[in-house]
Amino acid sequence: MPKRNEITDKIENRDRIHVVMFFLSIVFFLVGVLIMIQIVRIQTGYQVDDRVVDLFRTTVSKHTDNPVRGRILATDGRPMAISAPLYDIHMDCTVRKQEFIDKDNSEGEAKWREKAAELSRCLSREFRDRSADDYLKAILNGREKGNRYLKIRNNVELSVLNRLKTYPLFNENTNKGGMIVERHDERIYPYDSLARRVIGYVKENNRIGLEHSFDHELHGREGFEWRRVTDKKTWIRDLDSASVSVKDGNDIRTTLNVDFQEIADKALRAQIQADEEVRAGICIIMEAESGAIRAMVNLSRGDTPQTVLWERDNLVLREVGEQGSVMKTVTLVSLVEDGYVKTLEQTLPTNNGFVPGGYNQDVHILDYQRETGRRDITVMHGFEISSNYVFTWLAENYYGKKPQEMFDHIYSYRLGEAFDFDIQGMGTPVVNRPGTPGWSRTTLGTTAYGYGLSVTPLHIATFYNGIANKGRMMKPYLVESVEKDGKVLKSFKPSVLNSSICSPATADTVTRALRAVVNEGTATRLKNAKLPVAGKTGTARVVLSPEERGGSKDAYSDAYGRKKYQGTFVGFFPADKPKYTILVTVYSYPSHKNFYGGTKPAMAVREIVDKIYAIDPEWRPQMSPVAAVPEMKETKK
Amino acid sequence: MKKVRTAIKNIFKALRNGEFLLRIRADKYYLHIMYLFLLMWLSILLSLRVDKTLATAGRNKAAIEDLRIRHSQKEAELVKLQSASEIERRLDRMGSNVAMPKEPAKIIKRK
Repeated sequence: MPKRNEITDKIENRDRIHVVMFFLSIVFFLVGVLIMIQIVRIQTGYQVDDRVVDLFRTTVSKHTDNPVRGRILATDGRPMAISAPLYDIHMDCTVRKQEFIDKDNSEGEAKWREKAAELSRCLSREFRDRSADDYLKAILNGREKGNRYLKIRNNVELSVLNRLKTYPLFNENTNKGGMIVERHDERIYPYDSLARRVIGYVKENNRIGLEHSFDHELHGREGFEWRRVTDKKTWIRDLDSASVSVKDGNDIRTTLNVDFQEIADKALRAQIQADEEVRAGICIIMEAESGAIRAMVNLSRGDTPQTVLWERDNLVLREVGEQGSVMKTVTLVSLVEDGYVKTLEQTLPTNNGFVPGGYNQDVHILDYQRETGRRDITVMHGFEISSNYVFTWLAENYYGKKPQEMFDHIYSYRLGEAFDFDIQGMGTPVVNRPGTPGWSRTTLGTTAYGYGLSVTPLHIATFYNGIANKGRMMKPYLVESVEKDGKVLKSFKPSVLNSSICSPATADTVTRALRAVVNEGTATRLKNAKLPVAGKTGTARVVLSPEERGGSKDAYSDAYGRKKYQGTFVGFFPADKPKYTILVTVYSYPSHKNFYGGTKPAMAVREIVDKIYAIDPEWRPQMSPVAAVPEMKETKK
Repeated sequence: MKKVRTAIKNIFKALRNGEFLLRIRADKYYLHIMYLFLLMWLSILLSLRVDKTLATAGRNKAAIEDLRIRHSQKEAELVKLQSASEIERRLDRMGSNVAMPKEPAKIIKRK
């Protein structure tokens, strides 16, 4: 049994616990009441001190990194499109204004204004667009009216920005100096308009040319990282948060030769610049063996003749039209390949220029008959003078009963379809073959000399390149590799469209005919070019739109009898061992003048060939020295 | 209650006399305590060093970006100056007779 003292101790201990528990419950109650009061106070308009807000404000922020867009390079590595940022400069004119008012610090305000005056002088010297007084007036006016975003200058380069940062006020931080810098990435095209339609452009979400086709390579990948502030108020990467590293875009190396492009651009401008009746001019230079495009010029004037020549549209790819007499070569290759024309000296009757079956008379044959007194003509001479009669007669005579045979050839030359190309938007040819709505009794003959079949200039250049390449038709291409920091990631090799459009013997025969066109026929302006050229001229009337016709019933002329022409020269050089295929076409507005392929286009080709001859290492003559040539040694640094 | 008061009183007294650690026999854990301090010191030091390195890396990154931009802009300027039409224009402005070659350069082949 417990003793009395032990019982008393137990009771005392229990009382002590009760007292402690009582006090604790009082404390908890009071704390609870205080919390409730605080909650009510916060809910009913408690203003948190800014210093407290600063202490609790998160010091981590998400930073997005935009990738640098890849460059577009010429074949020798010269950049044709580069990305670099430009900066827009604004000013918060109200900085420290309130601070000076609050502290009644008129001296501080006067000092700020002094610095603003000095800044104005510096800005005036830098940009030379406004006087120092004007700048100062704008800044002080902005300060009075509370302008926090006064425009100073847009599109400033980095070097200028760095100079601006040394000027009074701008050399202080944004909260004190008021300088606001906004960066935006811009695409720089060092060669300005040169090959712009091929390179393309980037405008917000609108892209064309290679900029569009290879956007997936050029663009790169955005990255982001979280950043936090250190004790020294520096923003650093927050290693505890996830991040995605930015991946800059890859470079694209094109097949374009800047020198050739400049030569072609200049030669074409020289021919068409002064003639306001010329709507546009195009040029393609293609390497025969590979199909690599070395130059592609697309100059056009726009809607009115007064507008300047500019790379407005890719006519080389998109202008689907009847190409005229350059198509006679297509017919000739088919005839020779099928064995219908065994020799170019083969003759046919002249028939006063009439081909039975509803064809118009070819009056040029009457001139030929009168001048020569002959009643027959060789295929070679018909080709030289580009006789429509000769090719209509040949087509009707040999393919009249089986026209599909000729159209099979046209398809095998890839003239009946759009093929895959490095720039999107290639025009689809229109072929009026038997069985189609466009087929008529005379379609076979007109197709033989270049009407009834509509293709793009690139189709024609590719076909002629096939002849230059002894029947091997190469696929034209513009991009040879995708690179990153000079390292090749992907390489695009030449590919074949048709390994044999004709036999080498046929190609040789046709080359002889093309050479004769230059020496004796319609392209004699190229006879004395520095390299022997083989090629064909073509002059085609262009079908007018209903608006252009203005009531005229003739599809090819307007109410004033004016016609639209396109004159073409297409060929290759040197004729004996072709290295380049070239095509130049000139398009006119409705005009009373003729635009023959043998005039402006041939003259442009002449200039281009002569200049390429002078700069291409291929034709550098080697000399044997009569004395010993000293060895060239590298100079030691 | 009395015991608690006595205990608190003793703690304050020990602290005042500098005997607190001796009283709780902290000398038994001296190495552990020093090790803990070392670890804390190292942790703070490394954290500061990491911050400093990241700040330097950030500055270097910005400097590299500046140089890249300058390089791009300079490259564009130089490429523009290098174009044949620009060279011709400048030569023409200077009144020079130098023009594009009309014949290819001749190569002297060593015997």
